[in-house]
Amino acid sequence: MGLVESNKLPKPLTRLLNWGRSSSLWVYQWGLACCAIEMGAAFGSPRYDVMRLGVIPFPSSARQADFVCISGTVTDKMAPPIKRLYEQMPEPKYVISMGSCANCGGPYWDSYSVTKGVDQIIPVDVYVPGCPPRPEALLEGIVLLQKRIAEEDMGARWRGEAIVVGG
Amino acid sequence: MTVTESQKAAYIAGQAADARVRVEIEAEGMTLNLGPQHPATHGTLRIIVRLDGEQVVWADPVPGYMHRGYEKLCEVRDYAQVTTLINRIDWLGSFANEVPFILAAEELMGIEAPPRAQYIRTILFELARIANVCLFLGDMGVQLGAITPVFYAFRDREFVLNLIESATGGRFHPNFDRIGGIKDDLPKGWIDECRVALGRVRGFCDQMEDLLVGNVIFQQRTRGIGVIPRDIALEYGVSGANARASGIDWDLRRDQPSPLAWKHADWKVFTHPDGDSFARYWVRLQEVREATRIVEQLMDGLPAGPIRAKVPARIRVPAGEAWVHTENPLGEMGYYVVSDGSPGGPFRCKIRTPSFSNISIVPWLLRGVFVPDVITILASLYFILGDIDR
Amino acid sequence: MVAAEPETPPPTPRHGELVAALGEALGADLVSHAYSATEAWVRVAPAGWLQAGRVAKEHLGLSYLCFISGIDWLQNPGLGGEKAWDPDVEASDPPGDGPGRWKTGVAGGGTRFQVFARLADLTRHVGLTLKVDVGDGPSDPDHPGAAPRVASWVPLFRGADWHEREAWEMYGIEFEGHPGLRHLYLPGEFEGFPLRKDFPLLAREVKPWPGFVNVEGLPGDDDSAEDVEA
Repeated sequence: MGLVESNKLPKPLTRLLNWGRSSSLWVYQWGLACCAIEMGAAFGSPRYDVMRLGVIPFPSSARQADFVCISGTVTDKMAPPIKRLYEQMPEPKYVISMGSCANCGGPYWDSYSVTKGVDQIIPVDVYVPGCPPRPEALLEGIVLLQKRIAEEDMGARWRGEAIVVGG
Repeated sequence: MTVTESQKAAYIAGQAADARVRVEIEAEGMTLNLGPQHPATHGTLRIIVRLDGEQVVWADPVPGYMHRGYEKLCEVRDYAQVTTLINRIDWLGSFANEVPFILAAEELMGIEAPPRAQYIRTILFELARIANVCLFLGDMGVQLGAITPVFYAFRDREFVLNLIESATGGRFHPNFDRIGGIKDDLPKGWIDECRVALGRVRGFCDQMEDLLVGNVIFQQRTRGIGVIPRDIALEYGVSGANARASGIDWDLRRDQPSPLAWKHADWKVFTHPDGDSFARYWVRLQEVREATRIVEQLMDGLPAGPIRAKVPARIRVPAGEAWVHTENPLGEMGYYVVSDGSPGGPFRCKIRTPSFSNISIVPWLLRGVFVPDVITILASLYFILGDIDR
Repeated sequence: MVAAEPETPPPTPRHGELVAALGEALGADLVSHAYSATEAWVRVAPAGWLQAGRVAKEHLGLSYLCFISGIDWLQNPGLGGEKAWDPDVEASDPPGDGPGRWKTGVAGGGTRFQVFARLADLTRHVGLTLKVDVGDGPSDPDHPGAAPRVASWVPLFRGADWHEREAWEMYGIEFEGHPGLRHLYLPGEFEGFPLRKDFPLLAREVKPWPGFVNVEGLPGDDDSAEDVEA
């Protein structure tokens, strides 16, 4: 919309669009290791049901996803596919890094084959700590992401400006 | 060959049909890349298959996308830190990973854990097996296209994970085993809760039997698919339920003298003569039921007493080499621990993981198989990537 | 149990029979053996490695391949008690009683690198660990003969394919007769052999581990025997 590019989007419309975006997220599950099981429990088990937040965990491919949840250890061998699949996602896209391996290398901080944190490869929006984080912790991370999207400046996002936190 | 008679007949009929039409179709085979990110590979396993039409000509698994360098990391950590780390090898049945390592360290130090600790270790070991294999029972359905079983699996696994969490503090990755025993005693009321949960697990097994095992589609898709003959299984080192489904009557809980408490319960080992995917599913289903029986018997006979032997404050393992292997949920897992007597950690810790050997058979097994059957075979072999890649 | 004491008897009679039969078949190639309370080890000369595997599989019933792996006996003094890599420490006064800079393990050893394998007989429930000296390394492209090498067991056990690929990848041990030694775990461009003792973990060089941390007791906890790491 021309309104978005020229930054003339009225505030109620921004809020409406942001609310729509944050409440209907499609998450691409990138489950690598143990955190994938907790992610699976959060997404697939009826107890920690993530669909009540509006998040649907079943996009068929990265090209239909709103955000990707990288859960598990990222190795140097795995890094190129992660980068490639992140680039396949259409804008606006977000990343949740789940678990301490994806945050910073985790228990394998000194390994010769582990990438110390997925934020070395792709920009991350929300870090969910834990080893593995409980499904409730992942849900909190998703709620934080939703809050962030709800307060986002769509014009800045469209222009590709850096995301300002707490501003 | 792993092609069934009906598949062979279909192929020949197809060739005959082409001959009747007198058209020679020469097509280059297609190289298909399954993974590393694929819903059917339980994690980041990449399999490069060369196809001729719909049949696999050769298959080459490329592991290593989850290689975290465990054996090197174990050399630079001390024994307590290694215990924390090795939980994450087979990340579904985590407690089972700690046990052989701790037993190897105890063997080198000459320490024996008290009986109550051994009983509780065995109970948690079998609960880890139940948690692990329940997911397999549901997951096999998903790989074949039936989505419902995996939801039931996640739901009923929650009860077992609740138990493990109330005893150890972690849903998985309990880090509960210590040299000389275990960290804490069981909380009050745990045994009664456990009985309730085991009842639910048995209900889940009955549901799986209703939904999947009797289902004609499931039977057609798994019977005769991915047959592993007995001698090939031995050469590749296939272990666990995969081996028992090929008729090898071998279960380390029964056949290997171990300080753990399996000998105090009365239970059966299940084998199946067919060696196909259905056999592997069936054996694991029976094993989960049997595991619930083991846990109940052990809880009935749980001895009182201390849960940890007297262990020096600073662990210093004398020089020596020890090999301990146990019947983990995925197969035979073993640790070959070499200690050089210095304070700190092991000098060398060779981790023998079952999925490594179970997947090394894939190039042999997938020749001549149709593409959907590739998924069935991988699902029935049941591997965990952390177990292959360490 | 500490093994390699010549007085330790075999854990079961079958273990003793296996070692004796192997000794008969290999003759002088069976260099030494050892027992512990639960296990048996034999060390084989490199020339007899393939024959040892063949005899074990075909005549002794040890038809189950458990694993094949390598071990590097180098004691790196740079790897101190806190397991921090100190690249400046020279390995000049090394500990150990082996020739050069290494200690030897159970059933002895003569070289820095050894390959060890475990086979099992699933009907009689016995297993045997076989070791072989393979050389001192390191692999040098200008001197191809210097790499540690031993015969491959792929003709005997198909599963040896992956195990030997991994041993090559981690230690640089060449297996003669292997259909194709290529990377199993590591990306193709990886340089070096990670499990060798002189392969540093760079993260630890940059940021050394702070060392053993004494866990403090909780307030009100007067059991000072809780002074255990982690």
